[in-house]
This record gives sequence, C-alpha cells and structure tokens, in this order.
Amino acid sequence: MPSHLPGSPTPRRAVLGGLLAAASVPALAACSGGITSLDGGGDLSGGGSSEDGITIGTANFTENQILGHLYAAVLKDAGVKVRVRPNIGSREILFPAVRGGEIDLLPEYQGALLHHLDEKAKATEEGEMQNRIAMALPAGLQILPYGLAENSDAFAVTRETAEKYGLSTLDDLARHNGKLTIGALPEVKTRVVGVVGLKDVYGVEFKEFKSLDSSGPLVKGALRKGDVDVANLFTTDTDITAEGWVVLGDPRNLIPGQHVVPLIADRRADSRVRKALARLGAVLTTEALTELNRLVDKEKEDADDAAVAWARKAGLVG
Amino acid sequence: MGELLMDLGAWLTSGDQWSGVDGIANRLGEHLEYSLIATVIAAAIALPTGLLIGHTGRGAFLAINLSSFGRALPTVGLIVLVFLASGLSMTPVYVSLVALAVPSIVTNTYAGMRAVDPETRDAARGQGMRAHQVLLRVEIPLALPLIMTGLRLALVQVVATATIAAYVSFGGLGRYVFDGLAQRDLVQVLGGAVLVAAVALVLDLALAALQRALFVNRPA
Amino acid sequence: MTVEWDWIADHTGELTALSVSHLQAALTAVLLGLLISLPLAVLAHRVRQLRGPLLGIANVLFTIPSIAIFVLLLPVSGLTRTTTVTGLTVYTLVVLLRNTVDGLDAVPAKAREAAKAMGARPLRTLLTVELPLALPVIMAGVRIATVMSISLVSVATYIGDGGLGQLFTDGFQRNFPTPVLAGVVLTLLLALVADALLVAVEYVLTPWNRKGRRA
Repeated sequence: MPSHLPGSPTPRRAVLGGLLAAASVPALAACSGGITSLDGGGDLSGGGSSEDGITIGTANFTENQILGHLYAAVLKDAGVKVRVRPNIGSREILFPAVRGGEIDLLPEYQGALLHHLDEKAKATEEGEMQNRIAMALPAGLQILPYGLAENSDAFAVTRETAEKYGLSTLDDLARHNGKLTIGALPEVKTRVVGVVGLKDVYGVEFKEFKSLDSSGPLVKGALRKGDVDVANLFTTDTDITAEGWVVLGDPRNLIPGQHVVPLIADRRADSRVRKALARLGAVLTTEALTELNRLVDKEKEDADDAAVAWARKAGLVG
Repeated sequence: MGELLMDLGAWLTSGDQWSGVDGIANRLGEHLEYSLIATVIAAAIALPTGLLIGHTGRGAFLAINLSSFGRALPTVGLIVLVFLASGLSMTPVYVSLVALAVPSIVTNTYAGMRAVDPETRDAARGQGMRAHQVLLRVEIPLALPLIMTGLRLALVQVVATATIAAYVSFGGLGRYVFDGLAQRDLVQVLGGAVLVAAVALVLDLALAALQRALFVNRPA
Repeated sequence: MTVEWDWIADHTGELTALSVSHLQAALTAVLLGLLISLPLAVLAHRVRQLRGPLLGIANVLFTIPSIAIFVLLLPVSGLTRTTTVTGLTVYTLVVLLRNTVDGLDAVPAKAREAAKAMGARPLRTLLTVELPLALPVIMAGVRIATVMSISLVSVATYIGDGGLGQLFTDGFQRNFPTPVLAGVVLTLLLALVADALLVAVEYVLTPWNRKGRRA
C-alpha cells in the first residue's frame, strides 16, 4: 500500500462525485476548441473521429507506459486502431506533440497537467481541477473524465534522515535550509509542484538540486546511498513501503491530487473513445495501478502484457 | 532562429548562469575533468597496446578491427549496462568513455608503427640498437603523427560523448542538454551543445599545437 | 547480473521489429548523407577555396553532442522519424565528405588527363574516371559512416525513437539488464553484418582492384 499524502485525501465519494461532475466538461471544452480548431477535422459539435486510428504517447516512466497500454487495450476492444509510442519523454516534450499532431492521446495526471497549463493554479479538489484544466487547454485539445486511480507526488526521506533532522512534514524542511539536497526529475526544478512551490509555500531552500529520474533507479539509488536527502517519488511506487521511506506530509496542500486523466486531441475524440476510457477510469483503482507497477518493475512483465491481462481480468476487454 | 541566438547570447553571458553548482564554470570544470580523466586512462591502456602490436606485429587483426568495433558499440547501452551491474557511481561513465576512446588510439598507434619504413628499422638494428632503443628512438618518433591523430580523435569523441554523464545523474555540460530536453528549454540545450563543441575544438587545437611542438623537437 | 534467456526467447518478435526500425533509420541517414556529401565533395575538390570551410563546418558539426542535435530539431520536425534521420545524417557528413574529397584527390593526374585527351567532358570524366577510381576511399567512408550511424541510432531513444535504443531506456527504468544486453549485442551484430555487406558491395563494384590484387 502506498502511503497517501495527508494533503490530498481522496474519499471515494468525492472522487465519484468528481467523475460525474467532470463528465460534462469535455463537451464544453470541445465546443470552444472545435470552432477555432486548426486541424479543420472537427465539426461544430466538437466531434472528432477515431476512424483513422489513434496514436498513444507515453512519458518516460513505467506507470505511464502501463496506462498507455491500458488505454490501447480498451480502445482496441472498442474497435479502434491504436498505436502506442512508449517512453517518449517529459510532459514538456509530449504536450507539444499532441498539439503538433504526432500524438493523439496521452495518459495524464490532473494536478501536474493543470500546473503545466497554469503555473499559478490554486485548485486542488478534483472537480475544480478538471474544470480549470478544461478552461486552460489550448484549442484542439480536451480532457476526458478522470479516473479513480491516483498517483501523486511524494517528497520522501529515509527513516535515518527523518530521525536525524526531525522531519515529518514539508514544513520541517525549512528548519534545515541550505543543508539538504533534493533529487528529482530535471523538470521538477522549474515546476511549482517542485522546487519553486517548496520555496514559495514552505520557504524551503535546498543546498543542491540533483537532476535524476521519475521514481526510477537514479533517484532511488541516490536516496539509498545518501547522495540526496529528499527524493521526489510517486505514491504508487511500491519501494516506498518496501524500503521504509518516510513520505513528508503536506499540511499546506502544495501537492495537488493526481488522478489519471486522458488528454486527447479533439480530432480523435469520439464517443467510442470517450466511453471506453471512462469505463477504464471507473474500474482502475490506485491499488490496481500500484500492483501493475510492481508486476512490470519488479516481476519484469511487459507493460503491454500486464495491461491486457489486467483489463481482461477486470472484464474490460473480451 | 534569430531569437534563439539572441537568447543564447544572453544565456552565455549572464553572470548568474556562470556561478553556483549548476553554473557554467562548474559544469565546464566537471566536463573537462570527466573528459581528461577518461582520455588519460584510455591512453594508458591503448598506447602500450598499440605500440606492442605495432612493434611485434602480433595481434594486428585485433588492432585493425578494434576501431570498427569501438564505433559500433552503442554508448547509451553500455553506460546503462555498467550502471545496472555496478550501481550509481562514476564507473559507468568512465567505462563507456574509455571504451569509446581506446579503439581510436590503438588503431592509429598501430597504423603509425606499421608506417615506419622496415629499412629504417633494420638500419637502426644494424647500428646495434636494442629492441627497446629501436622502439623509443626510431619507431615512436616516426609514428608520432598518427599516434597524435588517434589521441585527438579520441579526445574529440570523448568530449562530445561525456554529455552522457548527465543521463546517469552526474554533471558536466550534458546537464544543460538533458535538463533542457526535460524542461523543453531549447536555449539551455543549445548553450550546452555550443559549449561542448567549443571545448572539443579548443582541446583539439591545443593537441595540434602540442603535436607541432613535438615535431620540431623530434630527432632527425 | 544475470541474463534471462527466457525473456529473449519470448521477445524475438519485438527484437526483430526494433532491429528493422533501427537499421532503417541508420541506412536512410547514410544514403541521405551520401546524396548531400557527394556534390559537396566534388565542389570542395574542384574549388580549393571552398574546401577549408566545407570540411571545417562538417568537423564542427561532429563535435556537437548527438542528443543535442536531436533535441534542437524538435521544433522543426517534432517527435518523428524525420528528426532521427536528420540528426544521424548530420553525423555521417564529416566522414563521407572527408573521404570523398580524399578519394578524388588521390585520382592520378594521368588518368584525368587521359580522359581529357580522349575528349571527355568534365561531367563524364567525373562519372566514368574520377568517381570509380575514388571508390575504394569513398567506400571506406561509407563503411565508417554506416557503423557509426548504427551505433548512434540508440541516442534517439531520448526523444522516443531510437530502435534498439528503446531497450536501453526500458531496461534502465526497470533495473533490468537483459533487454539492455540484447540491445547492445544486436547493435554490434547489425553493424558487423552491414559492414561485411558493404565490403561485398565494394568487391562487386571494383572488379579492376580485384584483378590488380591477384596479379
């Protein structure tokens, strides 16, 4: 079980409410996008078409590739031709590619996507974030209803570091300004949910920022070795509990909820796609996603095989 | 494009950009450190090997084909492989860079030795020189131009490839390229690339100058 | 570090597909590199003043880290094969250009004069005398460029392409050496086979050298 962050509790009721509330948003977004749509493929109703197939892009970490293959599995089952391009890079690289037309569909995360679109975004509640994202998206793009599964950012330290410096929340970090080193993805250095926000919200200043990876071998290796004191990890990473690492609490709600949400180009969004992905979102839980991560990362199953096997077991594909 | 170049100018000349851990001065120092250490290690392995093969004529097949093998070896794969085997340290970086540099040096050193006229070699022996004297006083001086070519080639390749250190969390100018990619900050990527190219060219010119100096002093 | 042979046996289809994609990128780049560098080399050979600048530019391009070239091409051609192939082509230029110029330089003046005396026009001389005689040196360049290109394709994994290079990033993220090792070995194999094939091509293309050697 990954430790949930104190700052982003997600009672199931709120999630389901958000799911329903959010379902109406994409249509709105699509309308505004459809009129000025650059590709000219969309009509005024904002309806795209998945007739010619869909290219799914994924970021450079395991979970995103699993999600991409899950999307592919349910879409294929719905009769859509799909192609998955795994392991492309950061959101900063992927997002323009959806706009540019090389990619049609991305597994995204609410909070991270919102902050990418609007650095000053304050929303942390799922339904509100969904609306804010829809409003902030450029013409031609839309999000579909978000799913149950959530993978949030965690700032974690080893048990020894937590005891040595008396750390239990992000607030505690500020008492050791200039002493601690943080390790994270390069882009976290310039992100609000990262070094920028930790300084603005918690007044934390690190001695050094080390560019590492997304909850991958570099950042975890560095945390184990003591090369970094604080590591940016994913809450769905099973190593957090396995290694006994301490996830620092977020009393000031810096870290937004990170429900999985599909980002899609208007030109490809039709009801077939919407329905298939909504069904997946309603069934895939955080626990299931965490287990899938474990199967691929630890048991070395292929991301596509693990995704298809799970979707079949969940009754999503025949 | 013009805008990108203006931004590049600003990036390269801003005082902030030069100071601190992530400053150009520090990253430049790290890059030089990685490149020079790797090239020196490679030379320590490759020069004796090339000289030995050239002097004895044994292992010529290896010397000729090693450079082709070295060119074919994918650095990205090698660094990941060594990383997975040995963990988070500079070892994967140095192993990859040395593996890249050794073949160029061995092959060129061997070629230089082979280019020595056999009659010159025989003449030296005829004058009563011992094997090591022939090597030190005749063969190496005559092979020097090609040996230096190998070293220069290796150094340029190592400097350009030391960028990869950033992929496994270390510093050097590659930091700007990899961070700029992740942040989609093209100015940073371009800045890193320009600095790497500049380092490679300056070091290459420095070795060329050294080579000329050595030529002037070589025994007739 | 243990190799899981089962994994390799289970993934032969994927490994083949990645190898094909890998080779396709590398070979397209070498072909494009040849198309660009042949005319430039003829120019550099004929017009002495252009030689320095042309070779100089190619040399400078060679010192730029390959990953930076791929990233800098993103605004132009995005996350496409074009980006990969363009980046690789840039790297083939320095070798192909230098070798082709060297090859043309090495053509004996007598051969050129003989062609002239027989009334051949410059273009005809180039095609029927100079290029064939320069072929061994040009082919040496093509071989180096091909092997280098095959090795460099994997760098494009950082922009989501890269053929066998995808095995490197995947194995890295999952702490899984087997795919990485498979990728390295297959890259070496592709390079070796491509190199051997080019030797065979050269053998077929230059019958006169063959006879010469035997004599």
